[in-house]
Amino acid sequence: MRHWKIYLAILLLGLACRKPYNPHVINSPKSYLVVEGVINTNDTTTIKLSRTVNLSAHVTSNPVDGVVSVESDAGEAYELTPTGGGVYKLINTTLSNSHKYRLYIRTADNGNEYRSDFAPVKNSPPIDSIGFKITSKGLQLYLNAHDNADATRYYRFDYWETWRFHSQYASGWKSNGVDDVVVRPFDEEIYYCFQSDRSSSIILGSTAKLKQDVLYQLPITEIESTSEKIETKYSIQVRQYALTPEAYKFWENLKKNTEQLGSIFDAEPTQLAGNIHNIKDNTDVVIGYISVGSVAVKRVFIANDQLPADWLPAYPYDCLLDSAWYSHPKTKVNDVRVKLVPGIEIPVTSYGKGIKPDGYTAADKQCVDCTIRGTTKQPDFWK
Amino acid sequence: MRKIYFASFCLLFFLQAASAQQGNVKLFSVNFQQATISQVVNEIESKSDYHFYYDPAQFDSLRVTVKVTKKPLSMILDQAFKKTAFVYAIDQQQVFITKNRQIRTELAPGYSLRHSEQTSGAAAVTDYTAEAEKKVTEATTENKLYEIGVKTNTIKAGKAILSGYIRDIKSGEAVTGATIYVSNTKTGAASDQFGYYSITLPRGRQTLLIRGLGMKDTRRQIILYTDGKLNIEMQEQINSLKEVKISGEKVANVRSTDLGLARLDIKNIKQIPTAFGEADVLKVVLTLPGVTSVGEATTGFNVRGGAADENLILLDGNTIYNPAHFFGFFAAFNPDIVKDIELYKSSIPEKFGGRLSSVLDITNREGNKKKFTGSAGIGLLTSRLNVEGPIVKDKTSFIFGGRTTYSDWLLKLLPESYKHSQASFYDFNLGISHQVNEKNNIYLSGYLSQDKFKLNSDTAYKYSNKNLNLKWKHNFNNKLYNLLSAGIDRYQYDVSSSANPVNAYDLGFNVTQSNFKSDFTYYLNNKHTLNFGLNSILYKINPGTFEPNGPKSLINPDVIAPEKGLESAIYLGDKYDVTDNLTISAGVRLNMYNYLGPATVNNYAPNLPKEPNNVLDSTRYPNGKFIKTYFGPDIRLSARYLLSDNLSVKAGYNTLHQYLHLLSNSTSISPTDVYQLTDVNVKPETGDQVSLGLFKNAQNNTIEMSVEVYYKRLRNYLDYKSGAVLLLNHHIEQDVINTQGKAYGAEFLVKKTAGKLNGWMSYTYSRTFLKQDDPYAGEFINGGKYYPANYDKPHAFNFNGNYRFTHRYSISFDISYSTGRPITLPIAKYEYAGSERVLYSDRNLYRIPDYFRSDFSIIIEGNHRVHQLTHNSWTIGVYNLTGRQNAYSTFFTEQSGVISGYKLSIFAAPIPFINYNIRF
Repeated sequence: MRHWKIYLAILLLGLACRKPYNPHVINSPKSYLVVEGVINTNDTTTIKLSRTVNLSAHVTSNPVDGVVSVESDAGEAYELTPTGGGVYKLINTTLSNSHKYRLYIRTADNGNEYRSDFAPVKNSPPIDSIGFKITSKGLQLYLNAHDNADATRYYRFDYWETWRFHSQYASGWKSNGVDDVVVRPFDEEIYYCFQSDRSSSIILGSTAKLKQDVLYQLPITEIESTSEKIETKYSIQVRQYALTPEAYKFWENLKKNTEQLGSIFDAEPTQLAGNIHNIKDNTDVVIGYISVGSVAVKRVFIANDQLPADWLPAYPYDCLLDSAWYSHPKTKVNDVRVKLVPGIEIPVTSYGKGIKPDGYTAADKQCVDCTIRGTTKQPDFWK
Repeated sequence: MRKIYFASFCLLFFLQAASAQQGNVKLFSVNFQQATISQVVNEIESKSDYHFYYDPAQFDSLRVTVKVTKKPLSMILDQAFKKTAFVYAIDQQQVFITKNRQIRTELAPGYSLRHSEQTSGAAAVTDYTAEAEKKVTEATTENKLYEIGVKTNTIKAGKAILSGYIRDIKSGEAVTGATIYVSNTKTGAASDQFGYYSITLPRGRQTLLIRGLGMKDTRRQIILYTDGKLNIEMQEQINSLKEVKISGEKVANVRSTDLGLARLDIKNIKQIPTAFGEADVLKVVLTLPGVTSVGEATTGFNVRGGAADENLILLDGNTIYNPAHFFGFFAAFNPDIVKDIELYKSSIPEKFGGRLSSVLDITNREGNKKKFTGSAGIGLLTSRLNVEGPIVKDKTSFIFGGRTTYSDWLLKLLPESYKHSQASFYDFNLGISHQVNEKNNIYLSGYLSQDKFKLNSDTAYKYSNKNLNLKWKHNFNNKLYNLLSAGIDRYQYDVSSSANPVNAYDLGFNVTQSNFKSDFTYYLNNKHTLNFGLNSILYKINPGTFEPNGPKSLINPDVIAPEKGLESAIYLGDKYDVTDNLTISAGVRLNMYNYLGPATVNNYAPNLPKEPNNVLDSTRYPNGKFIKTYFGPDIRLSARYLLSDNLSVKAGYNTLHQYLHLLSNSTSISPTDVYQLTDVNVKPETGDQVSLGLFKNAQNNTIEMSVEVYYKRLRNYLDYKSGAVLLLNHHIEQDVINTQGKAYGAEFLVKKTAGKLNGWMSYTYSRTFLKQDDPYAGEFINGGKYYPANYDKPHAFNFNGNYRFTHRYSISFDISYSTGRPITLPIAKYEYAGSERVLYSDRNLYRIPDYFRSDFSIIIEGNHRVHQLTHNSWTIGVYNLTGRQNAYSTFFTEQSGVISGYKLSIFAAPIPFINYNIRF
């Protein structure tokens, strides 16, 4: 519905323009508590505590130490275990559907106490399928789900995507770190790697206006046809949360305030009213909304051979093969020792007629070593 | 003298005395009381052999009262025609009565027919009776002396009322807002929207000075005997080197009681450069002091701190809900049809109501009553055509205008991803005016506009204004006339989507109002002019129908219950000239609003926020039931005191009510905002304003200066709660909050209305604050403290100048500067849901950078030979000459997980434009 406004803004590029804007430093005198997470009633509950930082700060993560527990309206309490970085976990605990739950937080530094409002358990129906469409721009991933009881209505999603990619050149050689180049052992292969990323935008779905609680082809994410993500194989794990109408409103508002600005008919930024409060000071701003319920998870794989053959990946770096001689024909310099042994460049293939090569083709590290952007360790779920 | 009749008819009048002979002169005894000329002639002819020759048409308003005994004919005629322009000549048995010029019966010099001799036996008695004339004098010549009223031989002291129409000599169209006054008195009158005027003047010989908007100044010489009519025809001012007026009323600046009134005619509007070269009524309004907007691309404007929905926009009496095309880049008004505009910022006449801040009254031209003409204009994005002409010459005329756009070519030039966008609009105006007779006129005016756009998404948008009204103007007599009008105004929009078959929907919204108005103007006497009447508007809103689009759609049809409301008012206003120096306009408008059934109304627990869990129950009301009634009197008061001929001080106070609310959760008005009626849970908005002004004219009324200050309060302006969804909301009262506002400011204006260089310059200091501290609203904005409104721009400066080099070339230049509007900026950031996100400050604590823009245009007229098939002109110019990238908004948004700040500018580069206009 609001999409046209964003299109319009861009449409008027000839007349309109969008320029970076950094007003003189605006700093809030206070830092506010941010609480993120879901009370998962049949799996691990993960809660993250942090504080807001100034706009000019370079590091956004600002973890908070404290005590976090889940409280039920029957008086039960489950304390979460800190796992570092402001993350607190309640591992593999099943909570009863018939109770309401809330979160209790006491921050370590100032002893402030916070509670979320009691929220009912809202379990997510399963995800029916995750599919994709080929568009002119690339791949459009979508999701189908439904609730036969017509009770869910409001949905939120996030995902982890993982993909296997390779570097520009496959290296069969490596520096021994001392004085020469040796054959690269199989377990030090750096051509194929895995990379993962989590969703960064808020994905919401609502069937409140439909006759049936059916989500049909709800867009999850888009992948450009030239993306490395789909050059070999791609996997996405989508997590589906069921929301109450109030929680949906919070997320929709957060999305509007932080993702959908910049058009001509913008909604004004509004206050974010979550469901977490400072017990003693109700004017204190706490960011976050705590929902309760089970989470539906689904993973799919998309292999490159399922996609159009003319989609070619664009490598993110400019790469050229250099040559490194043991003795350069003209300068007589030992390039191998100068460039390859210290790792300025990484050998790719050898050349020369003898048993000992005359030299190696070589390239910059980012063109050969995929581990600078990912890991060679195959995830457990990969198949 | 066209014809001379020979009159001999039977005697009607009773004659007492017998005729007698005195020498060879026949003597008569007569007693005429208010006798017409034919009675006099018949009487005398029956008693003698005299034959009279005269033109009865010239004498139709002459009444003779003469009583004599045994006097010769010459003496009777002397008395009868005393102090009139009639003269007579007696040639034996033939009597010639003529006007002004005597017929000479013989060549001999020194022969005189005119005797001043009076006899004691006969005392002339003259009396004055106002009598309807068969024909209204058409005064087209300046040097001719027009006689008004029933001619009598003596002119009694005192005053009489002169009324009539002021029209354009070429097209027969009414001239609105022309002033008519006598140079030696301080009272004057202005013509109304039909060109009608009524003025009270001392009897006797007078010179009337008439000045009209875009018309040549003219004068008429009259002899005013009794009340009478005079139609005045004025000439349009074409390419005059010397004068181009900004306001027709040169003296009105100082002499009228109006505060905060701006009147512009289309010529001024056409001088102002606009982004696409087509004259734009709304853009010109924005250059007036006291008017601001949130930015370049907006349909809304804010008058003296009022919200954008607090302006009543009338096009020939039709209420226009959406006054813009193409997201606000074009005004919905065809510049070839519009005649003039009036913006009331402070002194709002009693006959208007229903909006808090201003009335923008746009008047279209009437069609040419004498011949068929037309014009066409071609611009880069739009074209327009209008034709007009008589249906029955001098009686009935029509005017028709149409505009359309062909902007799709521009969209085609955009990159692939936007190529599939479409945007188009059209609008049509039709006006018909018919003169039934001298006392009755009928006017029909219709307007239709439609916008469609689809911006590379699957969602198609469409919105439309439809308006029609019929007016009947009836003159009861010189002093009293009535304007009866009935009409229908409708605004509707439609959004539909079909890309995802399961979610495909069709959303419709419309608001319809049926109007009935009866407005009377009564020129009671030279001190009092009364306005009174009644207005009634029946609103019907269909706040949303949401339906499946296509067979696969699972959309659950959702219809928000229609709403009905009736807004009625009776009003009475009096313009009272207390002394020559002091004039007071005072009026009262009694408003009544009824929220009508059928409706189901939620009853909320008292003193608790209107939230779902505070609903006690709901009540169902049947159709037509008066569910809730609000009463409210509006006071309209203004006074002017002349300190000297060129200097006056004015003060005013007024109160207003508004029952129709516009709910918009975007900064500027967007085409799909929601109209909401006042009901049980949504209160009417009210406002009042006090203003004071000093007005001065200098340099022979060619320079007008004014300073006005005002203070204004707004109550129950509707804001919405954070994250409120306004469309398809069944219980909108749960998502809106009442806001209070205050605004104050000072406006300085200097206009030069004549000369090669003309234009205006204004500076405004103004502030507008809103406050939301309703304890029952459930949430406070900015902790319940006052915060600046979106359109609060403390300093604003505007300059509009036009310089005419020759008849054919003129240039226009304008500058506008204002403080940047308030915005809400982020004050902190944090990580949430996989991305950096920002936390916003309290509302409107910061401002975007100041706004500055200058534009330039050249208008080249074709040659000025009068007799040629077509007249052409070119407008060439540059909008935003300096290319300053004025911030429209700033925003902070996440891009791949990182927050960045951006500034959005519209028209961020110099934009050249060209427009070709042709008249035929």
